[in-house]
Amino acid sequence: MRVRVRLFSTYREIVGAGDVAWTADSGTTLADFLDAFLKHHPRLASHRDTMLLAVNQAFAAPSTVLREGDEVALLPPVSGGAR
Amino acid sequence: MIEITRRRIDVPAVLDSVRRDDAGAVVLFLGTVRSEPDVAALDYEVYVSMAEKVLGDLVARAREKFGIREMSIVHRLGRVPVGGDSVAVACSAAHRREAFDACAWAMDEVKRIVPIWKSEPPRKARRSH
Repeated sequence: MRVRVRLFSTYREIVGAGDVAWTADSGTTLADFLDAFLKHHPRLASHRDTMLLAVNQAFAAPSTVLREGDEVALLPPVSGGAR
Repeated sequence: MIEITRRRIDVPAVLDSVRRDDAGAVVLFLGTVRSEPDVAALDYEVYVSMAEKVLGDLVARAREKFGIREMSIVHRLGRVPVGGDSVAVACSAAHRREAFDACAWAMDEVKRIVPIWKSEPPRKARRSH
């Protein structure tokens, strides 16, 4: 199955793209996906502990099972508002 | 009103969006870009589709938690110069205490869970400001 991966801010800069197509086996969990994705982008691996994860625009647990067409987002710690 | 915008925040419009006859208090918070050495602006990057959902949930939670009448949140996307408004939170309630409390809570939540990232523009771009 295919999922769309969205990357923002420093993660987008590290990977060099903000929108990546990714193919995974059906039954893949968010944690499984992340293991594979970080193997492919090792420079992102050191950010794993502070990374926020979302599926289809909602924060998601690592145990979430991904489905065809899902939008997965890897989010650096957020920093909205004023300086 | 929930909005992510590239344009200057229309503050009177944000205030008007929360006014109600049964509210005795309206509180407005503006987050503005503060002057720092060598910084003329900040760039805001937003995961827009998720930010809109999270802000909508946040307003629903504010209603439940504080019993407020209305809440509007508008956040900038793109470059905001020093002195510019990056975020506006407006809230109306029957009485001032819940309006103040809800507004402060909502702004803390914006900084905690809404997918928005700020960065300083690259040096070359900064010189043009």
